[in-house]
Amino acid sequence: MTAAPAPTVHAGATRRRRRGVAYLAVRLGLLAMILNGLFPALWLLLTSLKSEDELTRIPITYLPEHATLHNYLDVFQQNPFARFLLNSAVVSVVATLVCVLFAALAGYALARLRLRGRRAILTAIVMTSMFPALVMLVPLYRLFVGVEVPGLSPLAHYLHAMGWGFMPSSVSTPNLLNTYWALIIPYVALSLPITTLILTSFFQLIPEDLEAAATVDGASRLGALFRVVAPLSAPGMVTAGIIAFVNSWNEFLLALTFNTAMTMRTVPVGITLYQGQFAFPWAVISAAITIGIVPLVLLILFFQQRIISGLTAGGVKG
Amino acid sequence: MTRPSSSAPYRRPGFWRRLRTGNLSDAQLGVLLLLPALLTLAAVMLYPMLSVAWQSMHFNRLNQPFRGTPFIGLQNFGHMLGGEGLVWSASKLLWLRLLGLASLLPLAWSARRRRIGRVAAAGLAVLVLVVFAGLLGLHPSATGRWTDARFWNSFSITLLIIVVSVAGSFLVGLPLALLANVPSRLRWLGRVALLLPWAMPRVFAGLTFAWLFQSQYGVVNDVLRRLGLHGPLWLARVDPAIAAVNITMVWKTSSFVGLILLAGLQSIDESLYEAAVVDGASAWQRFWSITLPLLRPSIAVALIFRTLTAIQTFDIPFAMTRGGPGRSLETLGVYIYNSTLALNIGYAAALSVVLFLLSLLITVFYLRWIYTE
Repeated sequence: MTAAPAPTVHAGATRRRRRGVAYLAVRLGLLAMILNGLFPALWLLLTSLKSEDELTRIPITYLPEHATLHNYLDVFQQNPFARFLLNSAVVSVVATLVCVLFAALAGYALARLRLRGRRAILTAIVMTSMFPALVMLVPLYRLFVGVEVPGLSPLAHYLHAMGWGFMPSSVSTPNLLNTYWALIIPYVALSLPITTLILTSFFQLIPEDLEAAATVDGASRLGALFRVVAPLSAPGMVTAGIIAFVNSWNEFLLALTFNTAMTMRTVPVGITLYQGQFAFPWAVISAAITIGIVPLVLLILFFQQRIISGLTAGGVKG
Repeated sequence: MTRPSSSAPYRRPGFWRRLRTGNLSDAQLGVLLLLPALLTLAAVMLYPMLSVAWQSMHFNRLNQPFRGTPFIGLQNFGHMLGGEGLVWSASKLLWLRLLGLASLLPLAWSARRRRIGRVAAAGLAVLVLVVFAGLLGLHPSATGRWTDARFWNSFSITLLIIVVSVAGSFLVGLPLALLANVPSRLRWLGRVALLLPWAMPRVFAGLTFAWLFQSQYGVVNDVLRRLGLHGPLWLARVDPAIAAVNITMVWKTSSFVGLILLAGLQSIDESLYEAAVVDGASAWQRFWSITLPLLRPSIAVALIFRTLTAIQTFDIPFAMTRGGPGRSLETLGVYIYNSTLALNIGYAAALSVVLFLLSLLITVFYLRWIYTE
């Protein structure tokens, strides 16, 4: 066994070299991943700082020669972009709050109450997220234009015909197109399945004893929900809220179709207005997109672990 | 029933009182708490589904109100699907079909290794042959009499986008998830890079990539030029435009797949790997026999959601080329939107029904597949 040390050293060296190769591969992979994820956004930022003539030069420049903020001014001057931001903010925030509230109530019922078929109800709610949003386009458009209320309308028509001229001859729902409601209502529904799923699995993690203790101390069931369970599940609600917010901020098709008045456009729709029939003012479009991404980047930077854990709840249980 | 007349008659406390004091039964409270969510879903999901089915059987053009909205049965569907004169051309999307047919090799290999049953393997093989060899090569002939060739065009481009972008997002998303799970000082930046495409609106992604693919001043062609190649007019020619849109879709959606798979990776017990290392398993063996099998539920979830969103592809082709050049990228989603815009409501509803049936079919197929596993 005198020759034993030599092979050991040799094997160790190979292993180290192997580890070195794998280590290098992972490092390179990580760099490629960062480049893949961030390059398009970085390129937008660089484009937004260049002047229009610098963009139309060959060969193209990578870093801006004379950085300018002029494009950002143009974004606000060419279209009411501040209004678009306000619209998006109002619609997304309201939809997020309503969605999280509804999902929390439903999630609590599904996680805690002894209900028959609660598993089936949760499955049904989650299954609705497989429902193509596109299919909602036509019926919701008709609904939001205003439809006659079934049941009420014939009655009103009858009374009108009977000589009650002051009665309207039909009862219709209000025209919601070009209002915030036309977007808030569908956005709440679009995010409800995933947020309900996240909050249900979150409530299941909170020990039941705490709630029982509160009930013994004289709080009602709903009181226990709002005073004990809700504060404890704040992290889950934040996660659900972020996902609902991102969904609402990003939605395009319904916003494009329902809110066609210039003052009611949201950011994703507004951004498509900068391109002309043939001309693409890329510098201005890039600046507009950069502004539109800022809220999302902030959310990602501050809440990255929360978002990933929220998707865990949604992904594994779903 | 006789009561002692001295005591006041017993009155059960009212609903609100029981609500305040917490004496509602679980069922009552449950209905109360579930009501807002279920009502919203019913109004925004269930009502449209029924309404669209009813609408699809009517003639309804909002710009021709004088023609009324008569009930026409299944005529919309007949108009959509009917016709004759199908041609099969070997050249149509040849590269893609060869790629798809190549997937038969791993299928045969895993059937031999008994990783999947023979019946399932045969079924999948037939599916691959039909989709890749048949459907992607079939198209309405120019001289044929199709009442709506536009529908078949949008159907086939949607199918193409489903196949390419779903497969692509898994090919890119799995390595992304594995990389984001490796401990390193740069991991947080890697995760930001994984989250950003997920959070970015699809329209923004479409516009950004339209700029990257811009033929004169775009980065892609600049890089190609530096490599001595001549980049195509990406968004102005049919084939390059299809490629560009698919690349954008893969970029945007691989991060979603990556995130779901990352979540699955994080739930795998570390001690399994330690035991495998003790047993002398190589990294590749650990990946094949621990990571991949335990990742199956996450893969299934990601696959279902990815496919169902791919069916509805609208934003990215719309933002990049408005469904052009010509109508080459008019997906079913874009076609439904265009029909709605043309105020042809009945026909748009019929198209929506087809889209819905397609997603239902795929969901049922996947769910059966998951439950049999």
